Amino acid sequence: MLESTPLVQSTPLVQPAKLGRVAAYEWSHRSAQVFIAAALVFTGVAVFVGDTFFLRLATEALIYAGLAMSVDLLLGVTGMLSLGQALFFGLGSYASTLVLKHVTPSFWVAMAVALAVGTVAGAIGAVLSIRARGVYFALITFGMAQVVSKVVYNTRSIGGSDGIIGIPVIKVNLLLFEVDTASPAGFFLLVLALVMLLYFGLAYLLRTPAGRVLVAVRTNEARVPFLGYQIRNARFLAFVVAADLAAFAGALYPMLRGFVSPELMYFNVSGDAVVTVVIGGLGTLIGPIYGSVVITALKSIIGTYTDHYPIVIGALFMLAVIAFPNGLMGAVDTLRARRKGGSP
Amino acid sequence: MNQETPILEVRDLSVAFGPLVAVDRMSFSAQRGHITSVIGPNGAGKSTLFNLVSGALRPGSGAVLFDGADITRERPDRLVRRGLSRSFQITNLFAELPVVENLRLAAQVLESPWKALLPTSASKRTRDRVEELVERFKLEEKRDERAGFLSHGEQRRLEIAVALAGRPRLLLLDEPTQGMSHGDTLDTAELIRQVAQEASIILIEHDIDLVMNLSDNVVVMHQGRKLAEGPPQEVRGNPVVQAAYFGTQVHAEN
Repeated sequence: MLESTPLVQSTPLVQPAKLGRVAAYEWSHRSAQVFIAAALVFTGVAVFVGDTFFLRLATEALIYAGLAMSVDLLLGVTGMLSLGQALFFGLGSYASTLVLKHVTPSFWVAMAVALAVGTVAGAIGAVLSIRARGVYFALITFGMAQVVSKVVYNTRSIGGSDGIIGIPVIKVNLLLFEVDTASPAGFFLLVLALVMLLYFGLAYLLRTPAGRVLVAVRTNEARVPFLGYQIRNARFLAFVVAADLAAFAGALYPMLRGFVSPELMYFNVSGDAVVTVVIGGLGTLIGPIYGSVVITALKSIIGTYTDHYPIVIGALFMLAVIAFPNGLMGAVDTLRARRKGGSP
Repeated sequence: MNQETPILEVRDLSVAFGPLVAVDRMSFSAQRGHITSVIGPNGAGKSTLFNLVSGALRPGSGAVLFDGADITRERPDRLVRRGLSRSFQITNLFAELPVVENLRLAAQVLESPWKALLPTSASKRTRDRVEELVERFKLEEKRDERAGFLSHGEQRRLEIAVALAGRPRLLLLDEPTQGMSHGDTLDTAELIRQVAQEASIILIEHDIDLVMNLSDNVVVMHQGRKLAEGPPQEVRGNPVVQAAYFGTQVHAEN
C-alpha cells in the first residue's frame, strides 16, 4: 500500500443530513408560514366559488393533523411509537360531544373538558405504558386503544356501536365576534388557527429545557440519566402532552361532522396518523400537517372510486418510505440544499 | 463539610456478574481537589468500579460515600444533581445533535426546575456556561456541527466538556485519552489539569506516563481488588505492583 493512502477515510460514518430537526426550526417556521398563506388563499378561492365540500374536507385534514402532531411528538421527537393514539383522539371527541349535547353548547367548556379527559387518560396510559420500550410500548398502546374502543362499542348509554349523532351546531365565542361551526369557511379558519397554535406551542416546547430532554431521549437515551434527567419523567411528559394534543384535535371532530362513533378509536385511525407523520417528515412538527393534507386528499379522491383506499395508501406509503425516507419535509430540504449548490 | 472529609469514599464495595466477581471488597478514598487515578490491567474492574460509583450499576455489598453522604444505590440523575458526574470510555454523545446542543443539555441542569418550560435562550447561566466550554475545549469551529461528525479527538474533548458542564464537584473520567495520538494526549492532560481547578477528579487511564504526571494519588486494581494505593512514585516503586501490573505488561511486550 502506498504510504500516502490514508488507511481510514475521514468521511463520517453517520448518515449525512437527516433533516435538521432541532437545528432547522427557522426553516420549519417558514414551512408553517407557507402553509398558513396557502390555507388562506384556499379559503378565499373556496368562498369565491361558493365551495363547501372542500372546506369541510380541509377542516378534517387539519383535525387529523392535530392527531398526527401528537404522534410526531411521541415518535419523531421522543422516539416512542404509539399505535393507539386514536384512543385519546376518540376520548376527546366523546368528551366534547357529551358536553355539547348534554351540558352546555359552549365551545370553550367542551375543549376544556376534552383537555382534562386527555390529561387524566394520558397520565393513566403513561403509567401503564412508558416503562415498556420499542415494540412492547407499541403493543401496549395498541392494546389500550383496542380495549377502550370495545368498551365504548358495548356501552349503550353513550350510543354503543352507533355512536352519538345530533350534536348541535354551536357558536364559538371569540370575544370580538362569533364563529358558527356550521359555517365552512369560518370553522375552517378557526381550526386552522388552533392547529397552528398547537404547532407553535410544540415548537416552543422543544426550545425549553424540558423539550430538549425529549429530543435527547430519542437520540441517546443511555446518556440522559448521566446529565441529571430521569428518563421516566421525560417519557411521561411526552405521553401526557401527546394525549392532550390528540384529545384537543378529537374534540373538534364532532363540531365538524355532527357525530362520533367508536371507530374514531380504531387502529386504522392510529395507523393513519403514524403513516401521516412518516410521509410528512418525522420530528419536523410541520411535516405532519402537510402529510395530513396529502393523506386526506388521497383518501377522498380514491374513495370516490373504491372503498378499498387503504390498499392505495399502503402502497403509496411504501413508495414514499423508500423514495423519501425523511418524508415530504426531508425531500424539500434536499431540493433546497441542491439548489444552493451545497451537498445535501 | 470539613477539609478532611474525602470527596469520595468507597468501602468494601463488591459486585458479581454470575460467578465472576468483577469488583471484590474494594476500598479507597479520593481527596478533595485531588486527581486520583485508578489504574490496572484490562479487566481489572476499573470501569465496573466507575459504574458502581456513578449509579450505572448497583453494588452487591459495600458503601459509597460522596462528601460524607451515603450515595450507595442512588440513581445516576440524582447523583448528577448532587454534583457527581462522569464521562464514558466509549464516547457517549448525542451524535445527531450539534455540539452546542450537547453542551446545552448538560449545562441546563444548573437552571432551576421552575424554568424547565422557559426557553433555554432566556437562561443566561446556561448560555454562558456553553460558550465558556466551547472556548475552553477548543470547539469554536465545530460548535454547530453534529457531534457525530467530529473527529475522534474532538469527540473525546466534547465528552469531557459534557461531563463537566453541570459544574460537578467530583468528575469521573473514564479513559479520556482512549485512542488518542500522543500529541492529543498531551493536550488532554493539560485540559484535565485545568479541569482539576474546579472539580475533584478520579481518572481511569492506561497511559502510565500521563497518570504519573497528573495524579496526586494512584489506586492500583487487579482482578477486582485493590493492589496498592499511594502517591505515584511510591506506587511505581511498589514491588507487588510491578510484578502484577507493570510486570505483566513487560511480559506481554516480550
